Amino acid sequence: MEKGEMYVGWSTKDDVRKRGGSGGLVTSMLAAALEKKLVDAVVVLKKINEFEAVPIITSDINEVLNSAGSLHSVPSHFAKLIANKNLKVALPAKGCDVRGIIEQGKRNAINLENTFIVGLNCGGSMHPVVTREMLEVMYKIKPEDVHGEEIEKGKLIFETKDGKKNAITIDELEEKGYGRRESCRYCTIKIPTNSDIACGNWGVTGDLVGKATFVEINSEKGARLLQNAVDAGYIQIQKPDEKGVAMRAKIKGVMEGLGQKWKEKIFVPMDNRLEYFRKELEHCIDCGACKTVCPTCSCGDVSKCTEYHSRGDAYKMSMYHLVRFLHLGDACIGCGQCSDVCPVDIPLTRLYRRFANPIQQELKYEPGMDMQKPPYFEVKLNE
Amino acid sequence: MSGVAGQTAAKTDGWEPKIVAFCCNWCSYGGADSAGMGRFQQPASARIIRVMCSGRIDPLHVFNAFLEGADAVLVTGCHIGDCHYVNGNDKTKIKYKYLENVAHELGIEKERLQLNWISASEGEKFANFIRDVTAQIKKLGPSPLKPEGVA
Repeated sequence: MEKGEMYVGWSTKDDVRKRGGSGGLVTSMLAAALEKKLVDAVVVLKKINEFEAVPIITSDINEVLNSAGSLHSVPSHFAKLIANKNLKVALPAKGCDVRGIIEQGKRNAINLENTFIVGLNCGGSMHPVVTREMLEVMYKIKPEDVHGEEIEKGKLIFETKDGKKNAITIDELEEKGYGRRESCRYCTIKIPTNSDIACGNWGVTGDLVGKATFVEINSEKGARLLQNAVDAGYIQIQKPDEKGVAMRAKIKGVMEGLGQKWKEKIFVPMDNRLEYFRKELEHCIDCGACKTVCPTCSCGDVSKCTEYHSRGDAYKMSMYHLVRFLHLGDACIGCGQCSDVCPVDIPLTRLYRRFANPIQQELKYEPGMDMQKPPYFEVKLNE
Repeated sequence: MSGVAGQTAAKTDGWEPKIVAFCCNWCSYGGADSAGMGRFQQPASARIIRVMCSGRIDPLHVFNAFLEGADAVLVTGCHIGDCHYVNGNDKTKIKYKYLENVAHELGIEKERLQLNWISASEGEKFANFIRDVTAQIKKLGPSPLKPEGVA
C-alpha cells in the first residue's frame, strides 16, 4: 500500500458494520491499531444519547467497538484533547481537527510522528445546544424522544422513538439560523487531504452504498494503519470503481463551491470597520474561554493576550482581543470553537476570519495544511 | 453634557496630535538626536520610545499605543542592510507588512501607522518626517481609539 492509493472497505465484524454509519471501517481500523499495539490509545466518541456524544481517550477495545460512530451534532475539537499528553494515539478527525492537530504539532505540543490521524469527510457539524433548541422550535419534538439522526439528499432527518421520521431541508434550517455551525457553512476543506488517511462515504457506489467507506491514503503512516487493520482481519478492502472516484471528486467540488458562496455572502466589505469591531467586542467579559479552546494556541496559562485581562483601564477596545487578532491573522483555521464557547455570544470566528481571510491569502499561507511555518518566521539572511 | 461637548470642540481647535515614534537605538534615535543638534525645526508632537532594534517592536506594542491614546504610531529603524544586529530590520519589514494588514482590516487609517528607515546622520529627514505626519494627522483629527479624558 502506498500514498495516493484509494480503496473501498468495510468492517468484518457484523454488528460494527451494521451499527456504524458507513460500514464501520474507521471504528474497526482504530480497534485494530489498538490490538496490534500500533498505538497506546485512541480517541472515540462516547454516546450520551442518540444524537449527542463526548470525546474520550481510551485503551479499551470494547469501548472503541461500542463507540458512537459519526454524529452530526458534536462538540469539536480533538487537537487540544491530545495536546501536551505525549501519547501514541490514533484518532478520527474532521478537516478542522486535522488542521488543529498539525498546528499543535508545529508548536511542539503534539508529536505528529506518534499521531495517526484518520481524516473524515465533513460537510459541516452542528452545535449541540443549538440542535436541542432546533429540535423544539423547528421539529416540535422533545430532544429526549430522538432515536436517530441522518442527512439524506440535503435534508436533516430526526427519527423519534415511535418510529416517525421528521425531515426538514438544511437550507430552510440555516435560513432560520439553525443547522450547521456558521464556520462550517463557509469551510472549504471537505475532504481532509492533510490527514494520514481520508475516509468518508462519498464515492461509494452500487450495492455498497451506506455499507462501506471510501478511503484515500495520504501518507506512509496512513498506509501502515490500513495495512495493519487488513492484516489483523478487522476490515476487508477492495479497489473502487472509476465511477465512484469521479463521483467523490464531483461532490467535493460542489461542496467547496457552496462553501465559497457562503464565504462571499458572510464577509461583505464594510466601511466603518473600527466601530463594528468595537461594538461587537463591547460585551466581552474577559473570561478567556476563546483562547482556552483555540486549537492553534498553545501558550498555556501565561500568555501575552491574557496579560491584558481585568486591567481596569479605559481602553476603547479590548486589548486582549487585539492581541488575539494579531496572533490569529496567520493562524486561524476557522474551526468555530470560539463562537461556540463565548458566554456573551460574540461572533468571534466571524471577527477572526475577517482578519485571517485576506491576510492568509496575501501571505499565500494556509495554516494546518502542512508543516510550513508562517512566512515571517522563515526570514533568511541572504534574501 | 453641553460643557463636555464644548470642551471637545475647543480641544480640536488648537489641538496637537500625539505621535508615538519607536526608534532604534543605533540609527533613527541617533537621527532624532542629530535633528536636534542640527536645529531642524519640528513640531513637539512626537513621543520617542527607544528600542534596541526595530525588530524588537511587537505588533502589540503598536496597538497598545493606540489604545493608550496615540493618534499615530511610527515604526523607524536602520536602512535595510545597515542593521546593527545583521538582519533585525529585515524581520521588521516582514512583520510590519503583516501589522499593516491587520491595522487596515481593523479600520485604522493608513496615515496613522507608518514605517520609515532613518539613519543616524539623517537629522533633517527625521524632522521632515515628523512634520509631515503631524500635518497629515491634524487633517484627520484625533484617533477614534483614544480613551475618554486623554488629550
